[in-house]
Amino acid sequence: MNWKNRDWAWIYWSAVVLLLVTGYIFWDQMVPEWGDYQADFKELVASRLGQARAKQVPTGIQQVWVPQLGRADRCTTCHMGVSWKGFESAPEPFRTHSKEILDKHPIAQYGCTVCHSGQGQATDERSAHATMVDHWEDPVLGADLAKTYLVKNREALLQINCNQCHRYDRETKGADYINYAKQLVQQKGCRACHTINGRGGMVGPNLTYIGDQSPEQYDYSRMNGVKTAFAWHLAHFKEPKAMVSTTVMPNFGFGSKEAQSLAMLVLSWKKTNFPVEYIPGAKVGDVPTPEELAKEKQMETGEGAFFVKKTCFICHSVSTLGIESATNIGPDLANAAADVQARFGRTLEDFLAAPTGTMAVVLSTQIHLTPEERAEAISKLKAAYQLKLEQEKTARPKK
Amino acid sequence: MEVKKSKWDRLFWTWKPASEREAGDSVVRNLLLHWFPAKVTKESLSFRYSFWLGTVSALLFGILAVTGVVLMFLYVPSVERAYPSVKDLEFTVSFGGFIRAVHRISAHLMVAVVFLHLVRVFWTGAYKNGTATSQNRPFNWILGLALLLITFLLSFTGYLLPWDQLAYWAITVGTNIASAAPLVGDKIRFLFLGGNEIGQNTLLRFYVLHCFFLPTMVLFLFYWHMWRVRKDGGLACVDKLALKQKSENTAPVKSKTYSLLGITRGSTVHVETALVAQDEHTVPSSPNLTRRLLAVMLITLTVVALLAVFVGAPLEEAANPLVTPNPAKAPWYFLWLQELVTDTTIHIGGLTINGALLGGMLVPGLLVLLLGAWPYLDKSSVNSVGVWFAKERRRQNLIFLAVVIFILILTIIGTFLRGPYWKFYWPWQGWPEVPRRF
Repeated sequence: MNWKNRDWAWIYWSAVVLLLVTGYIFWDQMVPEWGDYQADFKELVASRLGQARAKQVPTGIQQVWVPQLGRADRCTTCHMGVSWKGFESAPEPFRTHSKEILDKHPIAQYGCTVCHSGQGQATDERSAHATMVDHWEDPVLGADLAKTYLVKNREALLQINCNQCHRYDRETKGADYINYAKQLVQQKGCRACHTINGRGGMVGPNLTYIGDQSPEQYDYSRMNGVKTAFAWHLAHFKEPKAMVSTTVMPNFGFGSKEAQSLAMLVLSWKKTNFPVEYIPGAKVGDVPTPEELAKEKQMETGEGAFFVKKTCFICHSVSTLGIESATNIGPDLANAAADVQARFGRTLEDFLAAPTGTMAVVLSTQIHLTPEERAEAISKLKAAYQLKLEQEKTARPKK
Repeated sequence: MEVKKSKWDRLFWTWKPASEREAGDSVVRNLLLHWFPAKVTKESLSFRYSFWLGTVSALLFGILAVTGVVLMFLYVPSVERAYPSVKDLEFTVSFGGFIRAVHRISAHLMVAVVFLHLVRVFWTGAYKNGTATSQNRPFNWILGLALLLITFLLSFTGYLLPWDQLAYWAITVGTNIASAAPLVGDKIRFLFLGGNEIGQNTLLRFYVLHCFFLPTMVLFLFYWHMWRVRKDGGLACVDKLALKQKSENTAPVKSKTYSLLGITRGSTVHVETALVAQDEHTVPSSPNLTRRLLAVMLITLTVVALLAVFVGAPLEEAANPLVTPNPAKAPWYFLWLQELVTDTTIHIGGLTINGALLGGMLVPGLLVLLLGAWPYLDKSSVNSVGVWFAKERRRQNLIFLAVVIFILILTIIGTFLRGPYWKFYWPWQGWPEVPRRF
């Protein structure tokens, strides 16, 4: 074969291989793993709910984007039944998500991985669940891991994530393992030696953000079996000296359930940057001082409560009944009995029955007084005026 | 007879020229071919002389440019978005993972191929001038050296962009070695990083260097490099042929190519060039050079595509300044330096003499200087131009071989045999298991 033909041979063979590679890449692109799941779900919907509903099954990569949490979760690409009714007993990945928890944690505001962990951006099962892949530290906290660590309740591990937001709850509904661990922290007096949530002793390490410690930063040299941070804590809670020979931490005789609960709790103690509205009990806002609260209560329940209820206080103070208007647009009603006479030449009863000026507008459009209420207003205003006169009497001699 | 040409023929060229005239016409007429000579020696086309390494480097650069532009439409150079945008490339962008893998593989290959190209040029003495005037191959060697260094920098700057642990810590190691330079070390590091630690400023600097500044420099130097190759009379093996002809008492071939323009350094009107007797040793560039170029192009593409499918591109955890992976390694082509730094770091009692200055600065710095100056120090005769392992240059070729092997061995040790805490592990010894959270 001369060199010219050899060149052509190279050209043709390379072209064939390139064509094959191109074919493979297209095949790989066109036949994704999630395509099968979506087809299966469509079939399932058709068999249970009919063809019409099956047509509503979306196709293509699905995504829940939660900008507040900086997460794009594509789990629903395969877990298509999550928000469909009627698949409560369907096999995974098509099962309906339990309703109670979603009512309080709508998918649109939370996504999936903030509770379940896993790699939300991934679009294949292996990468998404991440229990077997390198380079993703938060695998899905599901049955696989529960099996590995012999946790009886297969769904318990994800309570670690509940406690990201519910960290300062004494008890969180549904998070029994975490609740149990929090009880243990109280009973066993962990704070005697450890600082937890910013308060406690200094004998042991500060545990406030112990969940952030990287798996590489534990000493596994005295440990058999799988080397993970979680396994380290399990072993350490059962027998502290077995992991750290020099430790002064006593052996509390914890069983599996205790060790699992506590390991889950300490791994949940991480720094988080959730928006404050995601943290139960956390309030940022204009908190009234005790004096302000007392004043408010006095106005709402005291002698002048009528004027608060009927919203008169928006413009008028009734100083002798303890009603202070925030705006003071109108005159102090403690003087009303005399003042109305002076301004309008009419009695209070007469004026309220047929008001003029601004009060005519207010009493016809915004504040409606029944005849009984009008009577109550008049008696209260008179009483207020009486008080005013008495106060002036007692004040005068001092001058 | 004038043959009427279709528009297609005007745009392209015939692969089966009826005459040498038509063959030469393709080269003259066509923009894509015009930088080729009309005729080219068979030796220059051969694989066994050059392995076409320079061409492969340029092709890889082309692949990198094309895939790089695609990636630029999808990648976000921000500390918050970089890593997720690469994840999106892998998981949701059509062919995104493949394009990224092609880019990554081509980058690694380009570093290797450009280096091998330098080795080939050294061993064939191709940086030496032949007998023709207006040659300045030593300068072209320096241009090539600059291209090699920029290739390193291009790869190094690209390494940071995915913003994963691999990227972050490789750049940490690399820039820490740079900071060992005396007096200006910390300033160099500050300049690179845009601050005292790797952060958004660093990412932006590396991004602009990677996507604009360095590729532009490569393009500029590449054109200069090619122009010099043409001006130097083609590959050095042509000079060898010319010399052989001379010894066979063939009359020197006259050429007036440049003389009329008055830009040659020769003193006579007729300049003796390295041109060789045409019929015996040369063939028309079109279609002989173009055909082989097509073959090399397709082979390169095929190798890259296969590697991209089977090897892929790594992506580790998102960058975390608080957790150092163990071991933390520089990019592989700098691992011989990292290994050298380790080996020259000496502990005497409690005192540590850091090897970063010697291993990280002096050795590579001296090597580059020596390489640049070598064509001017090499006093071998014209007989060793364009000859593989010329007898006359045996000693320097052997020393060069020793240096290359030294670098390769250190690179292999650094890449494959160094485990956690930079401890030595044989390939059959497993590394300790990397702990996980769950």
